[in-house]
Amino acid sequence: MTRLHRRRFLELSTALGAGTLLSNTVGARSPQGKTKRVILVAFAGGVRTRETLGTPANVPNLVRMAQEGVAYTRVRAANLGHFGSSLSIFTGISEARGIRENARGEDPTLFEYVRKDLGLAAGDVWISTSGGPQQANYSHSLHPDYGERYGANTLDGDGIFNAEFKGILDAYGKPRLLGARETQLLDTMRGAIASEGSAGVNDAETLAKVEQYILDELSKGTVDLRGTGAADAKALRVARNLLAVFRPTLLGVVLQQADIAHGSYNAYVEVIRRNDTMLGELWAAVTSDPELADSTSIFVLPEFGRDSDLNSRRGLDHGDGSDDLRHVSLVAWGPDFARGRKVLEEVRTIDVCPTICGLLDADAASARGKRLPRLFG
Amino acid sequence: MMNPMAAWQDERSVAAPAAPLDARRLRAAFLDLYGRPPLLDERERFAGRGLSELVDEALAGETFWRNWTDEQLYYFLLIDNFHPADGKVEAIPKDLAAATIGVRDAIHRIAISSSFDRRNPGPDTFVTVVMEQLLGLTVQSRVRDLEIGKKLYDGGTGNFLGQTGRSQADVVNIAIEDRRMLELLLEREHERVLRATPDARALKDWTRRLERDDRDFATILREWFLSPAWEARLDLRVPMSNRMFVRSLFVDLADRLPADEEGKRMRGALDGLADARPLRSVLARLILDSGRSNVPEREAITDPTTWVAGVFERLLGRSATPDELATFVAAFHDPECRSTTVVYAVLSHPNYSTW
Repeated sequence: MTRLHRRRFLELSTALGAGTLLSNTVGARSPQGKTKRVILVAFAGGVRTRETLGTPANVPNLVRMAQEGVAYTRVRAANLGHFGSSLSIFTGISEARGIRENARGEDPTLFEYVRKDLGLAAGDVWISTSGGPQQANYSHSLHPDYGERYGANTLDGDGIFNAEFKGILDAYGKPRLLGARETQLLDTMRGAIASEGSAGVNDAETLAKVEQYILDELSKGTVDLRGTGAADAKALRVARNLLAVFRPTLLGVVLQQADIAHGSYNAYVEVIRRNDTMLGELWAAVTSDPELADSTSIFVLPEFGRDSDLNSRRGLDHGDGSDDLRHVSLVAWGPDFARGRKVLEEVRTIDVCPTICGLLDADAASARGKRLPRLFG
Repeated sequence: MMNPMAAWQDERSVAAPAAPLDARRLRAAFLDLYGRPPLLDERERFAGRGLSELVDEALAGETFWRNWTDEQLYYFLLIDNFHPADGKVEAIPKDLAAATIGVRDAIHRIAISSSFDRRNPGPDTFVTVVMEQLLGLTVQSRVRDLEIGKKLYDGGTGNFLGQTGRSQADVVNIAIEDRRMLELLLEREHERVLRATPDARALKDWTRRLERDDRDFATILREWFLSPAWEARLDLRVPMSNRMFVRSLFVDLADRLPADEEGKRMRGALDGLADARPLRSVLARLILDSGRSNVPEREAITDPTTWVAGVFERLLGRSATPDELATFVAAFHDPECRSTTVVYAVLSHPNYSTW
């Protein structure tokens, strides 16, 4: 079937009063349509509702966000391993991936949908991660219609912004600034080399911006974040700084360190509390900026929960199939959303992708989730 | 029983040299065998000699097996804080080179290391990773096996993948003895070395050989390297891993490998980026501008054409085309162009990051 251009389709639908005919993956824009940017925080690593909305003292910022937004308390997740379950949030499809599989998926992610449909540069779509090389695979899929050219810039704060790496760079000094003529010569020589490589995620202009951003960020306080949960804290700090520098249309954050729960329940709670503090910092960066405050929506959810009972090490695994494991909570906050609404009906983690795509006017063509119900005010 | 390593070591003394090692083959072979390009003295020593000589020397040495072990550890994501520090894993390269163990034993040592346990905490994760990474099974369609494996992990008795076990160690032991472990290993290695899915019949044959004696892997590798399939692989360029990029950068610019910590931190930083080019570019410029590279000063280059041609051969493993040479030499003559500008143009081009 020939695909109608999205905007034309929406115009037709509105004119005909046929909003209800829209598919699950098309046209989730609210009547107000204020949302121009979305931040999606995968509060991942396996986090139960019991330790978040179930214990408000652990997550005061998340609770406030829920009070000012919409809280879905029955969000069904599949325990497909951390990698597959987080990927499912981004693709809107249950992704059975190996736990230690270090490869890209076949299904397009919301980052690709948004970049392609909105014609965005790579600097407009970012993912800030904390889980090392595996999470760089969230950037894009291998789907022939999407893939690398529509990928998100993905950056693992702990891998780059750490004191040891900074120390190594410092030992080499600083790269020399290139003059205009030298840059021109460089471009001429590069352009003369017969190309066999791929184009990559970034164009030349964005590459230069990202290079400068990395050098700048290395001199900021992100490097000094240490202790339990530091990698997650860095991911949220980097997200805040990316917001200030690039003002991306779509910004994903993927946390991971709550998985310390396997060995220690107390450390798990400590990570959750620290992440909530850093989430509060990110949220404050949005609300204190008049432009961002009126145009940014935020979604926060784990990829799955954890077991009901402690293991022999006084930790929490994730494999008992319990309700604590299979159902998590989702908080949505933004200028278009209802305030203080609690939604009890069951939704799924894979519903987030089509919902965000709808908000930003992109088409999550392959996603199997549905738009979240009762989201708008 | 006869040591299979001894068999091919005897054979190598009579083996006729395969295709002579031109710039492309030399660079590709070193990257395949050692995960880095050749050092200056190695380039001089092997240029024009046969591939078989290089392969034979590599397979008999610890350096090749260290690179092989590092590749396996990366496959299991046993890196950074999870990099094994125990003696048994550390000794794998030495023991493989001496043929006192085979590849099955090597993988076994990795899977029973405390790092593997810490990396994959809890019964669900541990058993899942053993089934997926060691055997290539899809756990979602083998829930019963997963549950039995978890029972073993917790000290219960059960029949896991057709074998009786009663401990976490048995989960690993049973998987290691399963022929699917060898099959998956061979498949992975074939794709890594020859960039092609192995033929099913050949895979069965190689698996049978490893079942008989897992030290035979060295002989299988030798056959792969000296086969037409390796020649065909030369036309299939793939992106370098970040580990390989960092090692290549140091060898190409400073004729040395990075120090362990240096290499680890640089690789870790690059791994955090989906598009590592901005940071790769920063690292290349840092080394070039630090004065620690072996790039000569512009004034010391008396014949720019020969020098530029050498840069292409060394960094890209091929000759420059006449157009490339003309453009680079013309740029070199501009007063604003430094010798490092020429090298940086090649290093920051996508071709340098493929092999």
